[in-house]
Amino acid sequence: MTENVEVPKELDATIQSMDNRFHDIVTLDDRKSYTGYLVPVENLIDFATSIRDDLGYDYLSSVTGVDYFPEEKMEVVYHAYKTSGGGALVFKVQIPREKPEVPSLISVFPGSDFQEREAWDLLGIRFSGHPNLTRILMWEGFEGHPLRKDWKEPFFEEEKKPYKNRWPEGGVYRIEDEVPMGKNVKYPLGFDPQKWTPEEQTTFKEDMDSEAGDNGSNGSAMHTDQIVVNLGPQHPSTHGVFRMVARLDGETVVDLYPEMGYLHRNHEKIGERNTYIMNMPYTDRLDYISSMSNNLGYALAVESLMGIKPPERTEYIRVMMVELTRIVSHLWSIGFLLNDLGAFFTPALYAINERELILDIFEATAGSRMMCNYLRFGGISRDLPDGILETVRELVNERLPRKIDELDTYLTENEILRSRCIGVGVLSKEDAIAYSAAGPVLRASGVSYDVRRADPYSIYERFEFDVVVRYNGDVYDRYLVRMEEIRQSLRILHQVVRDIPEGEIQTGKALYQVRVPAGEAYGRVENPKGELGFYVVSNGKPNPWRYHIRAPSFINLTALGKMCKGEKVADVVAILGSIDIVLGETDR
Amino acid sequence: MDPALLVEWLVKSGVIIFLILTGFAYLTLFERRVLARIQVRIGPNRAGPLGLLQPLADGIKLLFKEEVIPDKADKVIFILAPVLTVIPAFVLLAVIPLGPEISILGRSYSLSLAGDVNVGVLYLLAVASISVYGIVLAGWSSNNKYALLGGLRSAAQMISYELVLGLAFIGPILLANSMSLKDIIQAQSRVWFIVLQPIGFLLFLVASIAEVNRAPFDMPEAEQELTAGYHVEYSGMKFALFFMAEYGKMIVVSFITASLFLGGYLGPFVDKLPLLGPIYLLVKVTLILFFMIWVRATWPRIRYDRLMALGWKVLLPIGLLNIIITAILVILVGGY
Amino acid sequence: MSTQLILFFILAVIAILSAIGMLVSKNSVYSAMFLVLNFVTIAVLFLLLNAPFIAMVQVTIYAGAIMVLFLFVIMLLGTDMAAEGISMPWQPPIAILLSGALILEFAFILFFAQQDVLPQIEAISAAFGSPQSIGKLLFNFYLLPFEVTSVLLLVAMVGAIILAQRETG
Repeated sequence: MTENVEVPKELDATIQSMDNRFHDIVTLDDRKSYTGYLVPVENLIDFATSIRDDLGYDYLSSVTGVDYFPEEKMEVVYHAYKTSGGGALVFKVQIPREKPEVPSLISVFPGSDFQEREAWDLLGIRFSGHPNLTRILMWEGFEGHPLRKDWKEPFFEEEKKPYKNRWPEGGVYRIEDEVPMGKNVKYPLGFDPQKWTPEEQTTFKEDMDSEAGDNGSNGSAMHTDQIVVNLGPQHPSTHGVFRMVARLDGETVVDLYPEMGYLHRNHEKIGERNTYIMNMPYTDRLDYISSMSNNLGYALAVESLMGIKPPERTEYIRVMMVELTRIVSHLWSIGFLLNDLGAFFTPALYAINERELILDIFEATAGSRMMCNYLRFGGISRDLPDGILETVRELVNERLPRKIDELDTYLTENEILRSRCIGVGVLSKEDAIAYSAAGPVLRASGVSYDVRRADPYSIYERFEFDVVVRYNGDVYDRYLVRMEEIRQSLRILHQVVRDIPEGEIQTGKALYQVRVPAGEAYGRVENPKGELGFYVVSNGKPNPWRYHIRAPSFINLTALGKMCKGEKVADVVAILGSIDIVLGETDR
Repeated sequence: MDPALLVEWLVKSGVIIFLILTGFAYLTLFERRVLARIQVRIGPNRAGPLGLLQPLADGIKLLFKEEVIPDKADKVIFILAPVLTVIPAFVLLAVIPLGPEISILGRSYSLSLAGDVNVGVLYLLAVASISVYGIVLAGWSSNNKYALLGGLRSAAQMISYELVLGLAFIGPILLANSMSLKDIIQAQSRVWFIVLQPIGFLLFLVASIAEVNRAPFDMPEAEQELTAGYHVEYSGMKFALFFMAEYGKMIVVSFITASLFLGGYLGPFVDKLPLLGPIYLLVKVTLILFFMIWVRATWPRIRYDRLMALGWKVLLPIGLLNIIITAILVILVGGY
Repeated sequence: MSTQLILFFILAVIAILSAIGMLVSKNSVYSAMFLVLNFVTIAVLFLLLNAPFIAMVQVTIYAGAIMVLFLFVIMLLGTDMAAEGISMPWQPPIAILLSGALILEFAFILFFAQQDVLPQIEAISAAFGSPQSIGKLLFNFYLLPFEVTSVLLLVAMVGAIILAQRETG
């Protein structure tokens, strides 16, 4: 899970053992409750290459930055893992705040692509050597970098955080009412949004062009024009407001890159002005299909900062809810993958039918069907109501296995499904790791990596379940992985409802205002979409200093372009469906 | 020209147009209800008893929608395209006999506009072949990439599957020794051609679903890829015309399938009670329509290149083989 | 008879207008559509002449297949390219010359050589223009041209496939 107290000794030893090249250069981060190593800027690429090749930390989970405003420095934080399992290797680079520039790790870990762009966009950290360092979540004409602590939301942001009471003496007062629509945006000097046109699309790299041109006119004078098609942002199969810019040669995709941020609301900035507990319902809105697992990730991060553990019964309830959420999310994903393939809602509706039953359980327990807001630091908001365990038991032991088998019979061997999915959107094992793909996308490519197993959190080490792996890395395998993971979740749930103890549900007293000691923590969970990580930095104040989310939907998209190249337009939709993104999480 | 004949034709034309229009309206309702049942839903049931007024409500809604013509569209063709699309659906039914001859007040009427034309089948092919224009022109004139892609896809698809359609026509023609649909139906009085031409029937079914752009061959309007394909820019009544053309064609294709392979209006006691004929035909048509909806409810879409490969590399050779075998058998065993 | 005459004149006017429309249209898609209209009117004229088979074939092949391909190409090229076109200064004089020659030829046949060219008109039999009679004629009397044509088409098809194959290597 997290490693906030001290650096594990064996980790230290491995670092020391690596040919002593970095022995004098790399220093231990010795701030209180901080972990990892501080790497000088000039050695970053060497260090990253070395830990990947020599120590086996081949999976770069998260890249983010922290603005230590008063200390006039910024920090880029990297979390690397081994795909064979185990804890994190955290390394950090500290840079001056005036000229924050670090070398891009894209040559070592291609998966850092979007994350570095995000850090540039929101924090203004320049990654030299990045081939396309443009804004990714904010729009191109935006001025400033909103996550910098000295950047204030115009007309809106107050110095004091969390904001003062908006209901003074019982009267409702909204600051939004003071700000007329459109006035809370500050434009750069001389910028007119009405006249602004985006620059020429430079994102299609020149070498791609020449390569495509060669293919088109190989050995003959025939020349075919390519057209650029925008799939989205208003498009029925992008699962939200998401855009894919595709260059097509006939029906074949020559090049494709994703364009996101249409649903961006700067979740992290809002998170940094909220108190810790205020963020809990806010995490629901990330991947709104699986709010329970989002809660868990955040709770784990904050609990590790606070150094508390929830009671036994709570752990069981948490696992139960999270696994039910996984079933919900996978059912949704399978149903809508079929929809993306052109089936007219029938599989989706069959899947949603079962989802409704699970949502009923959520409603009975948390009071809400989608935005559950159920977990608390060191506990849950309320105990299970009477009789709900019986419902879960019936569902888990009787109905769901039957229904999953039913879906399996209807779908898995369908000739059209097979011909549309097998061999489409292949992501090789090496690429999947390099692009930091996570969740079913990673496991369908033959990497047996599941955070629940590789780096167990909560009480997952007690349960028997298999990590589902497939080896072809195509759309069909991702579908099969999800199908099988539902069965594994049912297996875990079976054990949960068998073993769940009676007892307390809250460690200590349930508090509105928790005291979180200063420090940093990275809580990660295996969300249905992939590895969800919360990087939280506290300075002892009521609100987090830094609140970063490693969003699987966002990072899995890094590999989208690669998967789509050379496929047909129709397959792009299927591939996107097989990655299974939720825009609430992608754009944050 | 005989005025009585003119009146008869006018009445028949009116009946055919009425048939297509009401058929279109209630086919949409039928489809929505059947889809809903298959998908464990209820479907539209608010407008009128059992939702029977739903098509009316939809029609009124579409009438009052704003007609948007894109700024850079080619306006003439943009308006012409839906009209061109809908005409073939209306005129195709002219050569299909809806029933045997009936006599009212001493005058006998054949229940079709031109059922005994000796090139009836060719007429069907000819009209089907020009029905692609509306879609292609709609795609082109909208000045939209999705629409253009949809138009191109549909042109390629319809040309390819027309070939298979034509080859599937030949089986019944050979067996009936006539191109007139009336003769073809009469030739099935003992055995339906679905028994003698099972391969031909399957070919025809597949090709006709592809020809009317229905799932799983709804490539031109593939919602997931091309948003709505060729009619993405259309709204209001012009959109309704495309809709009408699609469902009208579905109905007509079902009529043709029923006539060619399922004995048309034939059924028990048709000789004594000729009015049973149209009822039998409608039952058969409804069954075929149900089949089409069923397919749409259950199957994903085939990918475009696979669809073309299926048409050219699988269906076409099978069609040719079917013709050769049928021809040899007809010569050896004698015409049916 | 009079109905037929009226129909004929209407169709003739449409046919001529559509032909002119095809020639003068700046936009090649419009040209193509005028040509389609022309083909369809000609098909109806065939129907009037009691030749339904030829009428249907006219529609199927010319309007339904060939012109769709034309349209396809025009659309793929994009109308801007097709509409602008390449100006050919040598074209108008040659066109005038050739059409003049054609008119002269027509005039000669119509006014001077009519008696020699047109055979005596026989009464049209019921089977005239029916698929059966055309089939018989095609497979008996015109067998050789028929087979040669089909071989020609086959060669064209093979050629097209080879051309398309070379592109992908």
